[in-house]
Amino acid sequence: MMELFVTVFSAAFFVTIIRTTTPLLLATLGGLIADLSGALNVALEGMMLIGCLTAVIVSVYAPWYVAVAAGLGAGALLGLIMAFFAYRMKADIILVGFAINILATGGTVFALALATGGDKGTSINLQSKAIPAVDLGFLSGIPVVGPTLTALLSGHSVLSWLAAFLVFAVWYFLYRTPWGLWLRGVGEYPAAPEAAGIPVNRIRTLSLVVSGALAGLGGAQLAMFNYVGFTRDMTAGRGFIALGAVLLGARHPVGALLAALLFGAFEALAVVMPGLFNDIPAELIRMIPFVVTIAALVLFSIRAQRALALRGVK
Amino acid sequence: MSNIPAIDRSSRWKTVRREVGRAVGALVIALVVTFVIVLFTSKAPFDAFGQLLTAPASKPRTIGLWLDDVAKLTVTGLAFSLVFQARQFAMGVQGQVYIGALAATYVVLTPLGATWAGIPLGIAAAMLAGAIYGFLPGIAKAKLGANEIVSSLMLNYIAIEACNFLVRVSLPKPQAGVLTTNEFPDTAVYPQLIKFDFLNITRLDLGLVFALVAVLVVWFALYRTSWGLKLRLVGHNARFAEYAGIKSTFIMVSAMTASGALGGLLGSMFVQGQGYGKLTVLFEGGLAFEGILVAIVARSRPLAVPIVALFYGYLRQGAQLMNIRTDVPAEVIGVVTAIIILLVSSSFSLNFVTRLFRRNPAAVAAPATAGGATK
Repeated sequence: MMELFVTVFSAAFFVTIIRTTTPLLLATLGGLIADLSGALNVALEGMMLIGCLTAVIVSVYAPWYVAVAAGLGAGALLGLIMAFFAYRMKADIILVGFAINILATGGTVFALALATGGDKGTSINLQSKAIPAVDLGFLSGIPVVGPTLTALLSGHSVLSWLAAFLVFAVWYFLYRTPWGLWLRGVGEYPAAPEAAGIPVNRIRTLSLVVSGALAGLGGAQLAMFNYVGFTRDMTAGRGFIALGAVLLGARHPVGALLAALLFGAFEALAVVMPGLFNDIPAELIRMIPFVVTIAALVLFSIRAQRALALRGVK
Repeated sequence: MSNIPAIDRSSRWKTVRREVGRAVGALVIALVVTFVIVLFTSKAPFDAFGQLLTAPASKPRTIGLWLDDVAKLTVTGLAFSLVFQARQFAMGVQGQVYIGALAATYVVLTPLGATWAGIPLGIAAAMLAGAIYGFLPGIAKAKLGANEIVSSLMLNYIAIEACNFLVRVSLPKPQAGVLTTNEFPDTAVYPQLIKFDFLNITRLDLGLVFALVAVLVVWFALYRTSWGLKLRLVGHNARFAEYAGIKSTFIMVSAMTASGALGGLLGSMFVQGQGYGKLTVLFEGGLAFEGILVAIVARSRPLAVPIVALFYGYLRQGAQLMNIRTDVPAEVIGVVTAIIILLVSSSFSLNFVTRLFRRNPAAVAAPATAGGATK
């Protein structure tokens, strides 16, 4: 048990948490924007997965930032497809989302086999690149706290910093700009913005595109930093966990950050635990994020129901 | 008044014709898109596509594989139809399959499995376990308002890991290190249906019979019982049903539980079927989620489910055989599945194709290509 405490309160563990949280946080922000526009984006998982593969394959031929942009673009394109079928063709958005997930599960393996010449498991024989880590070694010069700051803040992915900034950006957009108000209005009660002359469908479409782009960005981080390379089904439910994180985060960017950090921390725990406890089976450790998601969802739902009861609804 | 049933019947046939037209149209578009993909990626595209379209019906063995898939797709399609009719998007069939299979395995590997009770007890255990696993997200939604999509998906992952864990650690194995259990005793494995000297269809087992029985049971429950009427009412408009005095939360939970029992049955059909006869990790291979396609194309109508499963199972098996015999990976079928779901669940209509059908059947392929390209 002591080793666990020592590990959990070490700077290296903090860095691991940030690493595991980043893809989740990006996907959660994507899910949040879609959710506030009135669409439950169940395709986050598929968008992330396709983002992963696109980023890996592009990174073989292009610099890392182009690959990240390609992952983002792939997610955005899927968001557009989703919007087209859900809003123009009037399909149920959840079914559209699952169609995209099925497309992603099969399509990525298909594309991977083509890109690697028959390998359906991993992209191990592709020379894919990684996202560089930001080195803040100069902080060591600060007296007293310098080395600690370096240990905590140095070595994160560029996208981790971007994700942290995006939490603020999304909050600012949603609560401090007119477009954010429109988006929330569209999600809350579409008839009102419609009557006010706001282009409801364009806003919904754009929010799905942005949602997909963020999920694709999360995929790029996953396949170019957390792991370098693509493995089949490598998102392993992260998109669905992000969906839970949106609900747990009370549909607010800061809540999304906290929920993503919570799930990220448990995932990080699952990363370090096999090295510490040989006798706990790996399968049970891999279950942790899913069990925590269900527990969090249930606890949050109880709290939300109490809040409703207090306000006298129902 | 006497002609109302006649009108009803004729409008019903019109609906059936329209739905079949939409499904066929979606299928054609999906196949055209797939053909274009195969054309660009395969060295022998025509051979590969030929395999996809003809291989399943070529030999008794492949027919057996196909019908085995049809039975399984029917059951997962029914499970999704039940919850879709109640407008619940519970996605837990995959988890129920694993939990059901685990339960069946635990029962079958006791001494009881070696008696005549091996099959019925295995199925009962699987269905019970599946029902419990379907009940959990249902009750969490009804009592707490926890989103059933997220919770059922999480339960899927938990069930898969539980299966991995128990197979590795707890269940008896032929030798250390393999990720399969001991073979089940013969009395616990579904018998093969057609096994003669002149015609021996391997893989085709009792599961097909169970699937067809399940179709009838679900149809009866949905359209000939008050529970089914209430369920469909809740699905159409939960608030109206509530005002009409129907306990919509009870209906929701019971629909998800019944669907879970079907998922458990599917688990038993996997591990107790001729295909396995033992429990292996990750045995399900993504089939459970393809029930979404079957349910959507069948418009969640139980009687249409096996027909859709027949066609989709053919394609699915064709893709597997194409994978073995040519250089095109079987996963290309995911593209077909996704396109069909997208088109059938949307307001996409093939008026132009049906019109052309009447005028000139030969000209259908051309507009279908155009439709595929604009998408």
